[in-house]
Amino acid sequence: MSVLVQARGLGKSYPRVFRRSDRLRALANLLAGRASGEVTPVLQDIDLTVARGQSLGLIGDNGAGKSTLLKLLTGVLTPSRGEVRVDGRIGALLELGAGFHPEYSGRDNIAMSATLQGFSADELAAKLDDIVAFADIGHYIDEPVKHYSSGMVVRLGFAIVAATRPDLLITDEVLAVGDESFQKKCIRWMEDYLEHGGTLILVSHSMYHIQKLCRQALWLRQGRMQACGDVYEVTQAYLAYHERKSAGEETRARDLDAVRGLEFHVRSMRVNGEDAETLPALEQGAALTVEATIASRDGRVPVVNVGIARADGTPVYGVSSDMDGVQPAPLADGDYRIVLHFAELPLLPASYTIRVHPLDSEGMRLFDTVERTLTVKGRSSESGLVRLAHVWEHAAPLSRSRSE
Amino acid sequence: MAAVLGLAVQLARRDLRNRYLGSFSGGAWALVQPLVQLAVYSFVFGYIFRQRLPGADAPGYVPFLVVVLWPWTAFAEAISRATTAIQDNASLIGKVALPRTALVLAPVLASFAVHGIGFFGLLIVLLLAGAGIAPLGLPAMLPAFALLFLFALGLALLLSALQVFVRDIAPALPQLLMLWMFLSPVFYGRYVMPEAVRPWFDLNPMTGFAEYLRFVLLGTPAPGWPAVACSLAGVALALFAGAFAFRRLQRHFEDFL
Repeated sequence: MSVLVQARGLGKSYPRVFRRSDRLRALANLLAGRASGEVTPVLQDIDLTVARGQSLGLIGDNGAGKSTLLKLLTGVLTPSRGEVRVDGRIGALLELGAGFHPEYSGRDNIAMSATLQGFSADELAAKLDDIVAFADIGHYIDEPVKHYSSGMVVRLGFAIVAATRPDLLITDEVLAVGDESFQKKCIRWMEDYLEHGGTLILVSHSMYHIQKLCRQALWLRQGRMQACGDVYEVTQAYLAYHERKSAGEETRARDLDAVRGLEFHVRSMRVNGEDAETLPALEQGAALTVEATIASRDGRVPVVNVGIARADGTPVYGVSSDMDGVQPAPLADGDYRIVLHFAELPLLPASYTIRVHPLDSEGMRLFDTVERTLTVKGRSSESGLVRLAHVWEHAAPLSRSRSE
Repeated sequence: MAAVLGLAVQLARRDLRNRYLGSFSGGAWALVQPLVQLAVYSFVFGYIFRQRLPGADAPGYVPFLVVVLWPWTAFAEAISRATTAIQDNASLIGKVALPRTALVLAPVLASFAVHGIGFFGLLIVLLLAGAGIAPLGLPAMLPAFALLFLFALGLALLLSALQVFVRDIAPALPQLLMLWMFLSPVFYGRYVMPEAVRPWFDLNPMTGFAEYLRFVLLGTPAPGWPAVACSLAGVALALFAGAFAFRRLQRHFEDFL
């Protein structure tokens, strides 16, 4: 597979210019070949490789540097550090109407865009009709772009990209502006483009779109790479991060001394034999074993409750030993131990919290809480919390499949 | 390089078309404006101030003025338009990948194209009217016109790059260009100056251009080698400084726009 995009140590900083004298000092420094002075980094240490035909989704919070990275890749911005190489022609749909001059007509702007992409006048003339037809904005094509609605601007921009068929298509979330029928046209075009070996770098806040169109994802956080790799792993980690963030809960440190004074407390908790707070990621459908050892102050038998919740706090499932008519068995040292086993965990890929609580013998009062964070990974794009057993009927095999 | 030129031509054509698109007279306005300017100057200097040219076979004042004023107008307009080229296209620079030299080259090309055509047309008219234009001067002036273009391009690259950082250049430029014009032998010949001042004109790179144009087109005395050398040095220096400053600064334009 040939490498289409290669970035190494890529970084971008903006100079801090507050006073008028700063500009002059920056100018003198730059002319002398030095750095411009104090800078604010917006993007740091980005290493990236995109092979031909392998699409990449860019995700991250607002201000994480996604657009800056796209602009560095397209060459709109020059990197402050590192280098980026793209072996092919780039088509970019970055901002609404970027590169269009509002005073000129649609046709003039098409000519200018084509020239910017390196097309000769003859090549442009050959494609002009296609572009006008694809944009489908009627007589507006001869009117100045300033009279266009935002949807028309997007139509024109996409039509140019569609006709020029770049090696690499870089797009920000601009397509959302078009109307239903045009969006469908764009998606159809994009699927066809990807099928025929096109490469896409897409910024989107819709994980659905990212998972549908890309096989790799890069998560940017505060200008740095937080994660990069398989699209499912990265998007799930990103969603889990968001769920934890919106839950807003900082896991409060458990006060061991206070807990020891209680009637019952959790002596140890092991998930799949692991003691760690954050467990290794689990494959979807794998087995899960939760093992709890409970210390009992007065030697009474506890009830053990095990709960699973999404990282944002949404409860998924909870069960107590007494509900199933069992109780923890005693150990030699006076503690009680019980093991809960899920043979095939139906949780969908996401991040979860597993909690263990000891309750009193009557199952009424709750004493201690110990949590573990569990990530379930997988390639599923089903939505919701768990996979429900299901069967399709009156169904034929899918005829149109994307080349993988 | 070819891509830069192609883009600059496209930009220049679009700019010219747009400049006269909203006006009733269309492209004619590009020629009317310098003609009116010429009429005003010939009235003021040729009639009111009675600017006289020595020698019995000296050309009339209008051709004397035309052969230098027109190239100067192209030169001055190219520089003043190009100086703000980067700043004016800030929206393009932050959003589209394009060779930035093309943005500066375009207004220089446009100015020299419009005024070059106007100049040539006017010279033909003067030639046919028997105003003493040497026909062989037309091809002979082309190298000077080309060098003047390079001179303007060098200064345009330098000033447009500096303008991004120091915004005082564009407002100061018209005054400086006016001063330069009156310090150059555009409205007068060097010989109207006192003897002691005349050698100093050699230091002005524009002197060589003015005297060469009049020499080949009107048969006035040829410029001395110091003036020609100074002009050539001026062009070389402007191109070097412009290319150097633009190369050093262009990667930082977006940070300061």
